[in-house]
Amino acid sequence: MPRDLTPSTIENTFVLKALTERIRLDSRSFNQLRDLDISFSSTDFGVVDVKLGRTRVIARISAEISQPYADRPYDGLFIISTEISPMAAPTFEAGRKSEDELVISRIIEKSIRRSGALDTEALCIISGEKCWAVRADVHFLDHDGGLMDAACIAVSAGLLHFRRPDITIVGVGSRREVIVHPITERVPVPLAVLHVPICVTFSFFDVRKASAAIAGLPGKDNMKEADDDDVEEENDSSTTVLVDATLQEELLRHGYMSVTANTNREICQIQKGGDMPVEVGKLLSCAEAAIMVAEKVTKLINKRLKEDEARRNVGNLLVEARAENDRYIV
Amino acid sequence: MASRIEIYSPEGLRIDGRRWNEVRHFRCAINTHPVSSDGSSVIEQGNTKVICNVIGPAEPTLRSRVISDRVSISVKLVVAPFSMIERRKRPQNDSRIQEMCSSIQHMFEDAVIAHLFPRSQIDVNLYIVAQDGGVLQACINATTLALIDAGVPMYDYVCACTAGMLDREVLLDLNRIEESAMPFLTMATIGGTRKVSLLQLEMTVQFDRLEPMMAAAMSGCHHIRDLMDSEVRKHGKSRLERGSF
Repeated sequence: MPRDLTPSTIENTFVLKALTERIRLDSRSFNQLRDLDISFSSTDFGVVDVKLGRTRVIARISAEISQPYADRPYDGLFIISTEISPMAAPTFEAGRKSEDELVISRIIEKSIRRSGALDTEALCIISGEKCWAVRADVHFLDHDGGLMDAACIAVSAGLLHFRRPDITIVGVGSRREVIVHPITERVPVPLAVLHVPICVTFSFFDVRKASAAIAGLPGKDNMKEADDDDVEEENDSSTTVLVDATLQEELLRHGYMSVTANTNREICQIQKGGDMPVEVGKLLSCAEAAIMVAEKVTKLINKRLKEDEARRNVGNLLVEARAENDRYIV
Repeated sequence: MASRIEIYSPEGLRIDGRRWNEVRHFRCAINTHPVSSDGSSVIEQGNTKVICNVIGPAEPTLRSRVISDRVSISVKLVVAPFSMIERRKRPQNDSRIQEMCSSIQHMFEDAVIAHLFPRSQIDVNLYIVAQDGGVLQACINATTLALIDAGVPMYDYVCACTAGMLDREVLLDLNRIEESAMPFLTMATIGGTRKVSLLQLEMTVQFDRLEPMMAAAMSGCHHIRDLMDSEVRKHGKSRLERGSF
């Protein structure tokens, strides 16, 4: 049964009052991310467990051979499925798409698929006939805010971690056959990931609205209305920006903006919902902050990937099987 | 096909002969459907045509939509199958359409003086008759005008415009061909202020190129605001002269 997670008035005024005093309930600074933990499965390739604070998301990447679209014979298929089940939170209904779900799935689509994080041309096997169909399934286990951030990190890390079976094409012309080598026979091949998109969500709070809400507390002057003379003064201090909101902060925020960036200083997508108008300079500085967060998170992903590889290659067998030169990533 | 079309010539002319900072031909009409709706408007931005009908504030149809202290807005968007070059019937619950509806809804729930109409609902129906780029921006502009025509009190106009970046050139108000050739963003501002209500970017762009795009889009929004304002005043004047209600 879907239940609305509307917070109580007392919670509302407490959180907003704390924000006007520059305090967050979990004592983070306003632009600090929660503790991020990325762990890869030790048995399967492409299974990632991401914990962003108490939000938990698992992404699973899988690939199978399929037929490409008729109008794109040189491209493989890449599908991201982000169905949220009631396991994440009681407001989500299995089968019915709520508005939050729609926003999350659209943003992940834009961040990862439309930005071309995965090179679909490298997934082509025989043009027009056979290609790899890569599928990313995201399972939302716990909802404590930042579902799209965690999902984006999970899918990006999963794409980097996944290994598909190696294939050989035998024969010529119409009698071509594709032999798929099991991973016990040949070393599986990584996917061609062009860049690592990381999504960062900024939550906006209007200080004037917050003060008006706090003024509604019993005992205070109930007749106080939001100042109309402040409309002319467009200073930055009227908007509070939080990075990586918890569920409570998400439910109370007046507006949000979701920016996906990567380490190449590129912005892959921006989605600022129409909730609360924000001054344009603030939006630009948020976009810049997103790039710094993307760099930190990508560094962490690479660190965990290296640790996972070290765990798997106990005898250093895979290292000897590689013909690549060493790459130095700064 | 796109490689044979010169998007931006060395002389500084675009496909339709505009300069980089020129908005497409903007035509709007208010109160076009006086019988079937409380407020209506038709907007033409270049070849993109959008019709908007507003009904309300009225009794809400769904009890679950009732908000006790302010008005709730419900947005429906229908894309005509003949609006594109190839006739295509878009399914009603296409996720792009739903996303546009939800963006427009949230934007206007904030732009309308909502606390004056508690427990009421405003229905916004948008019909996209012709698509030539800038569909979301046309929908937003049409909704603003229709709400003004319906007499719904608003804090300010909500004006939208697109801006794209081709290599290092910023182009304002893109048509369909330009939209598919370069990264672009859609921005909606509150009237002539620097406050941004909606910002949407869907293709990858270098961060340093973002600021000029946003600046251009903002000035485009302000220009469109002036165009809409002059039309609203003209319409209001003619109504006063006619003496009609």
